[in-house]
Amino acid sequence: MRLTVRHLAKAYGLLWALKDLSFDLPAGEVVALLGPNGSGKTTLLKLLAGLISPTAGEIVLDGSSFSRSATVQRSAVGFLAPGDHLYEDLTVRENLVFFTSLYQKNRAFAQIEGALEEVGLKHRSEEYVAALSSGMKCRLSIAKWKLLEPGLLLLDEPYGVLDGSGIDLLESFLRAQRHKGSIVILASHHVARVLTLCTRAVILHQGRLTFNEARQQPWDSFTRAFGEFLPHGESWTS
Amino acid sequence: MDFLNQTFLLLRKDLLLEMRRRESLLTMFFFGTLLLFVFHFSFDLAPDRMVEMAPALLWLAFLFTGTLGLAQLFEAERGNHCLEALLLSPMDRGALFLAKTCFNLILMVLVEIVVIPLFWILFNLRSWDVIPNLFLVTLLGTVGFCVLGTLLSAVTLKARARELLLPLVLFPLMIPVILGTIRCMEAILRAGELGDALPWLRLLVGFDVIFLTVGVLIFDWVIEV
Repeated sequence: MRLTVRHLAKAYGLLWALKDLSFDLPAGEVVALLGPNGSGKTTLLKLLAGLISPTAGEIVLDGSSFSRSATVQRSAVGFLAPGDHLYEDLTVRENLVFFTSLYQKNRAFAQIEGALEEVGLKHRSEEYVAALSSGMKCRLSIAKWKLLEPGLLLLDEPYGVLDGSGIDLLESFLRAQRHKGSIVILASHHVARVLTLCTRAVILHQGRLTFNEARQQPWDSFTRAFGEFLPHGESWTS
Repeated sequence: MDFLNQTFLLLRKDLLLEMRRRESLLTMFFFGTLLLFVFHFSFDLAPDRMVEMAPALLWLAFLFTGTLGLAQLFEAERGNHCLEALLLSPMDRGALFLAKTCFNLILMVLVEIVVIPLFWILFNLRSWDVIPNLFLVTLLGTVGFCVLGTLLSAVTLKARARELLLPLVLFPLMIPVILGTIRCMEAILRAGELGDALPWLRLLVGFDVIFLTVGVLIFDWVIEV
């Protein structure tokens, strides 16, 4: 899997949410997508997921141009939005069966049970998703993407609803994805946490790419670039 | 084959959700029945005028009832951003259109199976033998309504006053279907056969085929998160 973004731009009416974004990510890259509110992180994730069309520019996945209509390539892209993308009136198991069938990755009963056991939801597999807490829904989303095995996994603020063991679960899943050669792009405001996982950081500000560097130790350039977005009086060092 | 599998999978999911929620079907059924009673108490028609009025009254009931169903059509996908989840998947988006159209059609037909005989009883119509032919014509009209309704329901999905906008856009475009069905029904009620209403039947079939094909082909551009 290789992701290349060339001169990507997105406008909503007269407002440019993203302007002239270009980067290239090889397999196994875990990217921390950072930036203040309204910087264009979610717009970028939706463009990469093929949920919205770019106003200009191109997204290339494994050498082929990726758009909303690219049916085959969409099976390689996953989008983990905590608590979202699950049918509340279907049971936990029915959700997994439905989505794995939709992705034509029909899993055996044992595989679905195994994924539920890994995320600690096996005992609730017959319950409706509506009865689950936000953290449990996020665990179910993790189980869903474990079964679907995307080559490009996008995550939008996954930490907010997870407890300690949930965070461990998510991070071990992301590490496993990385070792399988998947690209992971993780948008979050939990900077310290995402930096423990990432191999690269990308900072967006007012729709423009202001920083794009592979992880280093120490990482002074990141500290300088990100310092202005920290709360007043707070500092962060790599 | 994949396309049909995806359509079946999505349709099965919608039917399962409807069986659990029982929102759309019950609402449509009670509203349709209620309209018939309102018509029954409002009009005191002579039996000879019923041939002219019955098709229009029946279709008025189907239109209003169907619009209620259309307003609920994407409700399951609006919660929890499930529409995003579907559009993210590698399914053919035309399959989503076909599944939603079939789901809406099943609901409408279930309502019509109850409403048509009830209409006959309430308005004291004696020609029970024409009901099978009448039902076939109604089915063609209902397919047209569901095809166009599903397409426009998706177009207006993100509109603010969606429930108001949908009938305003839908009803004018439905005029060929409404006219065609009413003319065919009138002919059947008068003579027991289509006779000179055959061109209207052809119009209905043409409308259904054209909009079903167009819907499957353009749904990818119509549906947005």
